[in-house]
Amino acid sequence: MSSSEQPARADARVSTGVPGLDSVLGGGLVPSGVYIVVGEPGAGKTLLANQLCYHQARGGARCLYVTLLAESHSRMLANMRDMAFFDPALLPEGVYYVSGFRTLEEQGLPGLLELLRREVRTHNASILVLDGLVQAQEAAGSNRDFKKFIHELQVAAGLARFTSLMLTSDGPTVHPEYTMVDGILELRERTAGVRSWRELQIRKFRGSPTLAGVHNFRVTSAGLEVFPRLEARVRRSPPPDPGAHRIHFGIHSLDALFPEGLAAGSTTLVLGPPGVGKTMMGSSLLAEGLRQGEPCLYMGFYEPPNRLLNKVASAGIDLKGAVADGRLNLIWQPPAECILDVLADQLLEDVRRRKVKRVFVDGLSAMSQSTPESSRMASFFAALTQELRCEGTTTLFGLETPRLFGSVLDVPLETGPSAVAENLFFLRHVELEGRLRRLLSIFKLRDTDYDPTLREFVISRQGIEVLPPFSVNVDTLLTGLARHPGGGHS
Amino acid sequence: METVLVVDDEQGILEALADLLREEGYRVVTASHGREALERMAELRPDLVLTDWMMPVLDGPALIGRIRAEPAFQGVALLGMSAVDVSALRRLYPDVPFLQKPFDINALMHQVRKALDSRRL
Repeated sequence: MSSSEQPARADARVSTGVPGLDSVLGGGLVPSGVYIVVGEPGAGKTLLANQLCYHQARGGARCLYVTLLAESHSRMLANMRDMAFFDPALLPEGVYYVSGFRTLEEQGLPGLLELLRREVRTHNASILVLDGLVQAQEAAGSNRDFKKFIHELQVAAGLARFTSLMLTSDGPTVHPEYTMVDGILELRERTAGVRSWRELQIRKFRGSPTLAGVHNFRVTSAGLEVFPRLEARVRRSPPPDPGAHRIHFGIHSLDALFPEGLAAGSTTLVLGPPGVGKTMMGSSLLAEGLRQGEPCLYMGFYEPPNRLLNKVASAGIDLKGAVADGRLNLIWQPPAECILDVLADQLLEDVRRRKVKRVFVDGLSAMSQSTPESSRMASFFAALTQELRCEGTTTLFGLETPRLFGSVLDVPLETGPSAVAENLFFLRHVELEGRLRRLLSIFKLRDTDYDPTLREFVISRQGIEVLPPFSVNVDTLLTGLARHPGGGHS
Repeated sequence: METVLVVDDEQGILEALADLLREEGYRVVTASHGREALERMAELRPDLVLTDWMMPVLDGPALIGRIRAEPAFQGVALLGMSAVDVSALRRLYPDVPFLQKPFDINALMHQVRKALDSRRL
């Protein structure tokens, strides 16, 4: 018996063919399970079911797709013709479409059940889709009749070993009758202002734990793609001990402020207004990593790659060679609408594949603003940094503060990121003695002593240079409006 | 008046096709799957069977096979229709004309007329 002839293991899961969904389901659907997919019209139920069918058919399974009062089969197929998963060669052997509406009209639920049993047997189907469960529910004489229908379908699925997906647009309410099924998958579209996005939630699943909460998904020409919520899949184990390994920026005057360096695998947050030097500081960290032979990653939202490389080159930070030979990867995401988990997956995939040791995320604020889920940023940031720590990656995030000057210290994204980060730098502009200066201060560093004095720094063609402590006695420098004690503003 | 038996499991399509063919002057009977079609054929002998491909109970290929095997049905014209890529079906059944769903009314009427005329040859 060849491996392809081996019977499927009784406990093997049924893969949905929807990227990310099997992970959410703990491996896929349970064979012989009866599942309900609920969602408003246009939520993606039919697409999901078809994607599953063609995926299974491609692997040799036979699928039966039964419609009730749904769109015609020819229209359904026409709508899927441009989908990457669609393969007309799989019709009709792999995926077989029939309508059960007339049978339901004339013979009610018993007739429909008989049709389903018979057609599954005739086509030797291991997957059954019933599209339009709400019609079956309406045709039922009572809730008891409908529960009986579902129960008998479950019995049939167990005996004939087919997995069922029943699609219904019956709103977000989960009827008591539905609690009999093995799982309930809810698809929905949400809107805030002019933006909309799609969400999936597993309301019930028998057989194994699932990834809890709400997960984003999108529909493209490839079909559905689910992005499991990072917080739900983050590793719970503590990060590896970095030992004595320490990280430096490679800028003598900056590293001198904390001679032991940053803890390897730690998270650093650099706060500051636009143009103050966050990108230069983060790029310096990467440049030093590259000098140490470490694979590095830059993820940015503002400057496109070429502009970024030219910008840092003007400060003596040459990253072009490392990009050309693959030691440094640049991921650029325009500050437009995006899904946080997609960004996290892009970042973590590269970190794992290339064993990246240093990451600079240039624009945590842009990341937050590009998603409609800004309230999620604190927990997302905590999960992302946990994953990066577990990979032993040292990460620096640039976080924009909205004010160039002023007495109010704005820390965006509430206190989440600044509480999670082990190291916190604060960069500001300050007007002093008629000149606009850049100021650096260290708010906290984990496991190391540091110089807490306020320092001016300059950015020149030679890079960043941190200057000695101020010789003048000034206070309130951090407000951006410095003044000499006892005097007015300088 | 020529009689057309329309066989399709999708109720909406079945009724729409029946109406269109009646408006064109044909006598129309309907069935929602192959077995029901054979029952109708036993009652009255249609001139043309216009059948869908994927249907419950008895599908299009099985229906065509039964019609061909029954001497009483010799001479009945056949016309297949399917949402499946009919180029593959044409290769499997080279002597059965096929309509690719969705089709327009003119193409349908043309093929129906052509199939009916072919039985006189």
